Amino acid sequence: MDYEALAAELRSLRETVAGVTDIVLAGVDGIPIFADAGAGVDPANVSALAAADLGVARQAVEVIGHGALSQTVVFSSGGYMAVYAVGRTALMVVLGDKGLNLGRLLHEAQPVIARISSVLTAQPSPTPKARRRTQTTS
Amino acid sequence: MRVVGNPGGLFHLREGAVIAVESPGSPGAEALLLRSGRVSEQDWTAALSEGTGRRSHQATLIARGTIGARELQALITVAVHDGAFATAAGEVEDHIVDSPLDVLLSAADGVAPDLLVLETTRRLDALAAMPFPLSPFRERVVPGSEALARALTDQRRRILDNATGRRTARDIAFVISRGVYPITVEISRMLTEGLLEIASDEASFGSVNWGHTSLRPRARPERAASPDIDQGPLPARHREREGADSRKRTRPSRWPAPPEVLDLSGTEGKNSGL
Repeated sequence: MDYEALAAELRSLRETVAGVTDIVLAGVDGIPIFADAGAGVDPANVSALAAADLGVARQAVEVIGHGALSQTVVFSSGGYMAVYAVGRTALMVVLGDKGLNLGRLLHEAQPVIARISSVLTAQPSPTPKARRRTQTTS
Repeated sequence: MRVVGNPGGLFHLREGAVIAVESPGSPGAEALLLRSGRVSEQDWTAALSEGTGRRSHQATLIARGTIGARELQALITVAVHDGAFATAAGEVEDHIVDSPLDVLLSAADGVAPDLLVLETTRRLDALAAMPFPLSPFRERVVPGSEALARALTDQRRRILDNATGRRTARDIAFVISRGVYPITVEISRMLTEGLLEIASDEASFGSVNWGHTSLRPRARPERAASPDIDQGPLPARHREREGADSRKRTRPSRWPAPPEVLDLSGTEGKNSGL
């Protein structure tokens, strides 16, 4: 997996949207994959909570019949937790302080999610030996 | 008026005066009140629920004795100036005049736009003229080599405590609930004095991964293709015979067999209404 590409995407999101403090990428099963988070944030806990949160939000949208889920946001007196689906297999959690620009986050997150999804699902490039074999058989 | 940009801002105007500014770049009046402890969250929530159409939210806060009218007005005016500074110090892409929106805390008389522009320009110039000019939104700071060697004011100590390397001046202002302009100026001075340093990229954007390979959707089990699975109808279940068999199967080996007198299978229909 191209972790440098993931790091660049998360850095760009933190720099572009005021108030983003931490970002965690995880599987839909709640297992963390990649985190750009401060010392006070436990990615394993956040991933598990976000997976449950996303599952409930998806069910709610489906049952209510409001179309496709865009984001689910937990509002609290000290800040926000926004959770986005990344394809069918992963999710992205964005933590923000009380000043988080939620509108801009939603706007900026969409292209970032599309790129992250392609990085997460990209198949590893074949080894030189395997590549040679492919060339011989074709 | 909505100023689109990063961080951008929302300027509330009434009769030509700016009565409130909300910006993701600076703590608003509500954040300054609540996070600084001037007003407790309980009092704030109580005032919100008490506030009715006849009396504004801030009038309710004052009526409850939570905060004085003069102190509240002064704090809102500070937040207006700070919000204008934060908006102007960032990137401005566009501006849109919206229809009026409700705002919880507003300055009674407001601030004249020309005075607000004058003060904002003065602040931007003052910051640019400092020995270590910095953006409230870009540079991230860590404690410097002089941090332990000096006695510090309470505000400087709090800035140092929160200078993790991941936070900008704006982020620290939110954490300690102070205006972004005074905190940016203070950080600039502390950088000059060696109390703070600009954080490395590793400290600012350090990340951790769990070594996963690429993700693939879970494959569906191909039941129909398996020759071992019988695709016919499920076997019929006979309650009297299989009930006794299943109890035998699920009972742990050391448990005694239930006496036949407790077999309630024959009473099931009679008790269905209970």
